[in-house]
Amino acid sequence: MQAVILAAGEGTRLRPLTRSRPKALVPVANTPILKYVIDALLKNGIREIVVVVGYRKEHVIRYLTEQDLPVRVVVQEKQLGTGHALMCAEPFIRDRFLLLAGDNYIDAASIARIRAERNAVLVTDHPNPSNFGVVVTKDGLIREIKEKPDSPSGLIVSTGIYALDRSFLRYTAEHQEVPDALQAMIRDGTRVVPVRASEWLDAVNPWDLLEMNARLLPQIEARRAGTISRSAKLYGLIRVGKGTEIGPNTFIRGPVIIGEDCRICPNCVIMPNTSIGSRVTIDPLSYVARSLIMDDTAIGSHSRIIDAVVGEACRLQDHTATWTTGAVLERDGGYQKAAFGAVLGDRVCSAPFTVLKNCIVGNNAAISAGNTTVTGVIPDEAVVV
Amino acid sequence: MCGIVGYIGSRNAARVIVDGLQKLEYRGYDSFGVATNNPRIEVFKRKGKISEMGSDAWSLHGTIGIGHTRWATHGEPSDRNAHPHLDCRGRIAVVHNGIIENYAALTRELRERGHEFRSETDTEVVAHLVEEFYDGSDLRTAVEKTVARLEGSFALLVTVEGLEEVIAVRDSSPLVLGIGDREVFAASDVTPLLGYTERVVYLEDGDLATLDREGWRVYSHGHPVRRRVEHVDWDVETVKKGGFPHFMLKEIYEEPRVFHDTLHGFAASSLPERYRHPPEITVVACGSSYHAGLVFKYLCESTCRIPVRAELGSEFKYFTPPLKGIVTVITQSGETADTLAALKKARAYNCPTLAITNVLGSTVTRIADHTLYMRAGPEISVAATKSFVAQLAVLMRLIDLMRGNDRLLTALEQANTVIGEVLLLDIDRAVEICRPAEHLFYVGRGLFYPIALEGALKMKEISYIHAEGYAAGELKHGPFALLSDQTPVVALCPPGDTYSIMLSNIKEMKARKAPIIGIGASGDRELTDIVDVFLPIPESPELVQLVATSVVLQQLAYRTAVALECDVDQPRNLAKSVTVE
Repeated sequence: MQAVILAAGEGTRLRPLTRSRPKALVPVANTPILKYVIDALLKNGIREIVVVVGYRKEHVIRYLTEQDLPVRVVVQEKQLGTGHALMCAEPFIRDRFLLLAGDNYIDAASIARIRAERNAVLVTDHPNPSNFGVVVTKDGLIREIKEKPDSPSGLIVSTGIYALDRSFLRYTAEHQEVPDALQAMIRDGTRVVPVRASEWLDAVNPWDLLEMNARLLPQIEARRAGTISRSAKLYGLIRVGKGTEIGPNTFIRGPVIIGEDCRICPNCVIMPNTSIGSRVTIDPLSYVARSLIMDDTAIGSHSRIIDAVVGEACRLQDHTATWTTGAVLERDGGYQKAAFGAVLGDRVCSAPFTVLKNCIVGNNAAISAGNTTVTGVIPDEAVVV
Repeated sequence: MCGIVGYIGSRNAARVIVDGLQKLEYRGYDSFGVATNNPRIEVFKRKGKISEMGSDAWSLHGTIGIGHTRWATHGEPSDRNAHPHLDCRGRIAVVHNGIIENYAALTRELRERGHEFRSETDTEVVAHLVEEFYDGSDLRTAVEKTVARLEGSFALLVTVEGLEEVIAVRDSSPLVLGIGDREVFAASDVTPLLGYTERVVYLEDGDLATLDREGWRVYSHGHPVRRRVEHVDWDVETVKKGGFPHFMLKEIYEEPRVFHDTLHGFAASSLPERYRHPPEITVVACGSSYHAGLVFKYLCESTCRIPVRAELGSEFKYFTPPLKGIVTVITQSGETADTLAALKKARAYNCPTLAITNVLGSTVTRIADHTLYMRAGPEISVAATKSFVAQLAVLMRLIDLMRGNDRLLTALEQANTVIGEVLLLDIDRAVEICRPAEHLFYVGRGLFYPIALEGALKMKEISYIHAEGYAAGELKHGPFALLSDQTPVVALCPPGDTYSIMLSNIKEMKARKAPIIGIGASGDRELTDIVDVFLPIPESPELVQLVATSVVLQQLAYRTAVALECDVDQPRNLAKSVTVE
């Protein structure tokens, strides 16, 4: 059995977090989503893995090389659709293979269920089916997959994971997208069965990463490397990477993961469902909860970061606070409502006493005036004065 | 990272293993060793490159064997520390890839039980543990008991005198088996197997495999498990580069990590007292290392107020070494002949000597009084990239160590993220300007002058375009006559003391119609307006900009060379380390 993982697309709906990495490389519980997919395959003994890369390909390749993962990399020079991406891997496909998206979480049990099938789609129930391909079945077979329909006919959606064989490539040669090709194959009379996934997660919007983070954190292995002050109090499932310092009287309640070479200063509080990357600094008396903080970020003292996704190398000065409300955001021409504190891109800077109220701040944006309350969507490179 | 290979079958094991290790050399190359089981254990191990000395091991007899190529982490590379390691009686041979975290405690325990250790490596405890548990018949149980005592990550191969068997264990370090016709291979990755067999078995964490001529069996937690045989048709080069088209690009993308690791790799005690307050410093190096030395000259003179001479290795023999003060040599490989000659001369004049190198235990480390290491990992591409930024990291940290503070360390705090940032830079238009050019000029002032020299060197060596680096002020003393619309100029114009004069230099060059690629701080409108292509470096301290600029110039050279279809990793006429004067 072979597997083809598509990791070439940017994942534009996850912007601003996809500027320096494709969605597949966005870390959740300090592990890129792509790694979970590869692990699920390896646990099933599927070793022949082809990863199709494109957008920011060097970063994906560097990650795969660093991890010494047994995969073959294929480059899709232009992102012309999932069908085209699969065709890039065509020379290496011999017979039966699994096709997966590198930017959705999938567990090993689901792979075990679908791997024995000849032509099958892994499906799951989703409360918001109109964001996905809605699966219409009849007599136990898939009749149709409707991509992002306005009025979905049911709650069963395609996970974008398929068991196929080489004959499918005839259809992707003619259709740019995999669902279209599948549709054509079904029309030609091939039987395609739905298989239920056990656990599959997709972050459609950046704030969905917070839930994904909370779902995946219980899987981490407890470990206490680094230097932890004797008066620090750590409860629950906690993983601390090597070189990390945790100062006196800091309180941490798991599940929490903290990467390598971080500095968590005295008297901080870190509450459950928080992931902190490597080389992150959190100054004294700060409070962090239900958040995903990426590498090299620094958070000033007396800050309060809750329900936030913070990109790489952000500089948040003292007394920065997030404020979770469920305001309506205008994004990419549409309106969306979601309750979260803040989503910050890479290298965001904020002045002291900034309040981030249910906002999305673009990469390299600077909030240079103190005592500002930021709401709504701030574009990349913006300066808020 | 190290590489291991094992073999059992009917071929000459030593030849198979040496051949395999050569393909794993990209994982490490400071020493290597082979042990064969014939049925006595015969061992050959050497400090040095397997590609140069591997055939010496062919003298070993036998059709069962294990081998290792090393990149030292515990204990310097030497004949003694090279793998395979043996137990007290020389009957059990072990090779290991990975790190055994609790080796110090185990060593103590085994010493108390009377075991004698011969090396400084973490691996040797494995051989002694197996000896402790081995009852003369059941090797598998002995290895299982051994593994239960080990913490860390490892892939192990074990063979015992008189037993026609090799045991392979994998835990968090890669290991694959190659299945042939009445022969079995084991290796860190598939490269050594290709050419012998296409059928492989990937072991999983916690697996223990027994290999003999009849076949192989895998056990997990003591119980037999099934592992599938898979078919591979990969080629060697693809595996080594992990998907990058060239080693050079792979190494450029490692730079954020390398810079950070090198910078933070020194304790305050890494520099002995006698190097802290020298009356003067002489830096001797060749090629890119010389340019790193020049950066140090500018930096050290302004921050420490110590006079610094930077000399080329090959020219140093015509000068007198300083009568007082220290001599510092910089060499990635530690084997550069000119630099070594200069070092020996300095020693002859009784100067205290300090070496900066990437290769643990290389020749330079044995000659110099003290060594500081960069943590770049093996560099394969001939053009230095990650080793250059690692040298900058060491030299900048050296200034901190001399001054006894962490000022530069603090200033460089964000350097890895800024390097990461410039890797995202779109340089297509700059490449378009360089590609058709026959001559290129690189100009900079102050600290950025050596960076201009290094940028030009990179361009020359891999794209074969004639590129020259100049101090911007020197241009008017001659080279200005060459400027025309056919000679693009790469101008380094960072904010700071040199900014305004650099800007007027650029305007003068622009007046001679030279196309200008300007590199400066992002948001610099004035510079953006006068240059043809502007490459912005994110706002950051000057030293961070310096490192980031050199990374941009490496990329410019790389992309230009690729556009010209040059052989990036193996440029014509050049060798990675120049070991003849």
